Amino acid sequence: MLAPVLQVLQFALLIAAAVAVLEGWLHYHFTRWEKSWFLPAGVLGTVTLVMAGAAASAGGLVDPGRMLSLGMGTAAAECLVALFFKHVVRGRHSLPIMLLAPAALGLGLLIAYPLVFEVYLAFHDLKLTTIMAWSRTGELPFVGLKHFKKVFTSSPLSEVSFWQLFLRTVWWTFINVFFHVAGGFVMALLLNSVTRGKGLYRMLLIVPWAMPQVVAVLAMRGEFHSQYGFVNVMLAKLAAWLPFLGDLGVGPVQWLGQHPFLTCTIINVWLGIPFMAVVILGGLQSISRHYYDAASLDGASAFQQFRMITLPLIRPVLAPAVTLGTVWTFNNINVIYLVTGQAGGTEDADILVSALYKAAFAFYRYSYSAAFALIVFLILFTFSMVWLKWSKGTESHYD
Amino acid sequence: MSSVTFKSITKRFGSNEVLHDVGLQIADKEFLVLVGPSGCGKSTLLRMLAGLEETSEGEIHIGEKLVNHLPPRDREIAMVFQDYALYPHMTVAENMSFGLRLKGIAPDEVDRRVLKAANILQIEPLLKRTPRQLSGGQRQRVAIGRAIVREPKVFPFDEPLSNLDAKLREEMRIEIAKLHQKLATTIIYVTHDQVEAMTLATRIAVVNAGRIQQVGTPTDVFGRPENMFVAGFIGSPTMNFIEGVLLRENGVLRFKTEGVDVPVLGGTGAEPLGPATFGVRPEAISIERGGAGGDGVVAAEVEVVELLGYRKNVHLKVAGAKVLASVSAAFGGEPGEKVGLRFDPAGVHLFEKGTGRRIR
Amino acid sequence: MTERGARTAGLLTSQAILKAHHRREALKTALVHGALILACAVCVYPLLRILAVSLRPGDRIISTDLSIIPQGATMVSYARVFAETHFLFWLWNSLVITVATSLVGVALASTAAYAFSRFKFPGQRLGLSLLLGTQMLPAGMLILPLFLMIMRLKLMNTYLGMVIAYSVSSLPFSIWILKGYFDTIPRSLEEAALVDGTSVFGAFYRIVLPLSTPALAIAFLFNFTQAWNEYLVARVILTDSYKYTWTLGLFDLQGQYLTQWGMFAAASLLVTIPVMAVFLYSSKWLLTGMTLGGVKG
Repeated sequence: MLAPVLQVLQFALLIAAAVAVLEGWLHYHFTRWEKSWFLPAGVLGTVTLVMAGAAASAGGLVDPGRMLSLGMGTAAAECLVALFFKHVVRGRHSLPIMLLAPAALGLGLLIAYPLVFEVYLAFHDLKLTTIMAWSRTGELPFVGLKHFKKVFTSSPLSEVSFWQLFLRTVWWTFINVFFHVAGGFVMALLLNSVTRGKGLYRMLLIVPWAMPQVVAVLAMRGEFHSQYGFVNVMLAKLAAWLPFLGDLGVGPVQWLGQHPFLTCTIINVWLGIPFMAVVILGGLQSISRHYYDAASLDGASAFQQFRMITLPLIRPVLAPAVTLGTVWTFNNINVIYLVTGQAGGTEDADILVSALYKAAFAFYRYSYSAAFALIVFLILFTFSMVWLKWSKGTESHYD
Repeated sequence: MSSVTFKSITKRFGSNEVLHDVGLQIADKEFLVLVGPSGCGKSTLLRMLAGLEETSEGEIHIGEKLVNHLPPRDREIAMVFQDYALYPHMTVAENMSFGLRLKGIAPDEVDRRVLKAANILQIEPLLKRTPRQLSGGQRQRVAIGRAIVREPKVFPFDEPLSNLDAKLREEMRIEIAKLHQKLATTIIYVTHDQVEAMTLATRIAVVNAGRIQQVGTPTDVFGRPENMFVAGFIGSPTMNFIEGVLLRENGVLRFKTEGVDVPVLGGTGAEPLGPATFGVRPEAISIERGGAGGDGVVAAEVEVVELLGYRKNVHLKVAGAKVLASVSAAFGGEPGEKVGLRFDPAGVHLFEKGTGRRIR
Repeated sequence: MTERGARTAGLLTSQAILKAHHRREALKTALVHGALILACAVCVYPLLRILAVSLRPGDRIISTDLSIIPQGATMVSYARVFAETHFLFWLWNSLVITVATSLVGVALASTAAYAFSRFKFPGQRLGLSLLLGTQMLPAGMLILPLFLMIMRLKLMNTYLGMVIAYSVSSLPFSIWILKGYFDTIPRSLEEAALVDGTSVFGAFYRIVLPLSTPALAIAFLFNFTQAWNEYLVARVILTDSYKYTWTLGLFDLQGQYLTQWGMFAAASLLVTIPVMAVFLYSSKWLLTGMTLGGVKG
């Protein structure tokens, strides 16, 4: 039990040291730029730091050739950086930059760099057979656009095609968001209309959202078990109780085996409604009672009040929630992977992002998956831009 | 205790210049009020003194020391903010002692000073409370207390009373006046309220559009406004202005316009003739019922009479112009009545047309 | 009809009208409550089912029984979770990784958010939009390169590897939340602190940070729940069952053998109850934080 604690402490020290070095380096560049020795001392210090860091991370055993080229590269880069600080930055904005630096470095190393690395991977060939060689030498054969072509010509998994996945993703996103918003509205309106027990209802209704998603999905998956799951047990009872329903075809269904997409959708709708309901409820409660009073004096029916007052006034709350919900649904690997991800799982429920994950980590086609990821990224990016433009365009009607 | 000097201060936000070449000297122990409409740059000047804004050009001295380059903590000032800026997560005592503790002053000395300040401001019972539990007036006292425990050389006050209601404002105004007498320290006080300026200041600096319009004692500024802006800004109700021509007839300086023809007494004889603006304070107008008669009496018609209790504001029409007179409540005129107006020479001012500068 | 009779009749009818009105209203209320109770049942029932399965005795783990408290209810499954699985290891691993991640995340986010909230600097707007932009990245896109980086750094199956992989994932969101909160703190407080003798950074950590505890708590909680419930990255980086987080352990328990359902249910309940309690308690703040980030975007 002690080793992990030491590991964590070591980690904390590592982070603190990295932040200290970074801030010290920045501080030097922000405050000493006027000195005549700024440039040489900066180059000397930075090269020493980088060499020491490289030596430490490699355990001291580094071949001199590589160290030399590393040193030269660092010196050249530092020269440029120092000149930039001396002639362009001139000590301005030191505080915000120094406050931002640690976060920026983290995001750069763990989001920006991996993105660049992903592009590199997509144009090279990394798969299960080449990964050992790569982890020794760090070099990969260049294959150009091969993987991009293969995304469209061969299945990302074993059977399902890219276009099937694409259409299924669109359908999945649309149907889920639709039911989330519709269900959320119904629940929120119901909640908003009661005076007693509101707090209790609200608490119970957000249980699916509050449960850890892994538990919630796995538990729901159990309820769709063909023999022992709640759903089939109920269907069987219903068919036994009302035989004519059984004649109509009501009865136990092979949910996971034959209708995995439907199962995933039901589970995800169940999971997603509470969030929307709570967001919408918040919006409803922020609408002043006076509008409804005025409207009912004007003779508006309940439905007209909903259409003319509730909908437009809830828009500022709803629009970002829907945007967020759409992106989340598009990106929802969890539900699909947890329901269908086990060995020998079906591909009939997969959407783009879950196929992406499976291609890399169930089929070990790393470079292929990278190319696939870039294509999915482009799709999502295009969609986001169009959506943003469109929602900005409609916003002006209300402002 | 210290004097403060602003030397040709200019302040720009981006390309927008908000202060133009401002120069101002404040003597030790003086109570200087910077007064002007909102957005005139008076607060910016104060914040530059405190070190909360960079100075674009010019020099600021506290005592003999140039402070442009110093951060606020090294300027030995203590500021009172418009919204009090009491730290919500500290008690009153902690709020007041924060600066002293930062300086590393011994705890019993800190306690002594806090108690002394609390005593002066009568807030001892509040020391254990948090700002949330205080009323507006109490917060104001704490904010002042926080400033005085630090025994600064200069006290900048940034509109300290503008968040209080009318009654409290009057009380606190008197408190601040007393405080200045007690502490005998240099106070620089920013306000847009000319009543505060008149009642508190030993000297007033009227600021408009990034320039100082006039510096002088309250009597000076009220009695001899340097220009139309100062004349209009200081005094309540505000001065009446009538456009017209200044000319000399039979050796007597006269101001003429449609419906107005009055002699201007006590001139030096060197006044520039031509287009001019005639200004008269509402209190310097007396109303003669029963119509116009005699030289210097202007015919007018009563439009509205407002009773303010012990005075009446009478809105009058003089040919094309509107004039407000402030007269005793005994005035019995009714709307529509024709009356004559007589101007007390002490309340009459003449300004150059165009520049707005004072003629006499 | 006499005048008096008409008046009584009028009274009677108006009473009848009011009565009918009240009955309609009561019916409406009853319907609404009925619908809400049904919805609550749908929301809560799966959780109750987990409870039911966890209490079943060993020979009846698999059954079509629908009762919440099964016949012969026993705690055996709970005992087996501790005796037969690495459940305590999993919890400990999750806890260490999650706390470390959240602390790093909040520390980085708070300074960055302060820079965004209080200073003007070149690239500020761009930086904020890029932060939002990271939310548009397809899920799973970064897992592959992160996995390869961690593999090359020889950090597979280590806490360090996990914390590195997790540490920035909630950063953009945390920065948005905290920036929104900092924006609501009056600047004059910091100015007063500056005049009182702090440095600019001193004003930040003596005044702004203590005042932001609610927002810091939200950000911490958000980081915590994200890391605590994470599954996909952990699956890739952790392969040693002793190093598993609880999500991996649970998934494997639920895996192939139906006989382990009891243990799965017991373990699920054990991790769910505390997390849910915290979540329900803080959901209001969490939600304002979320919509705050969303609305401003």
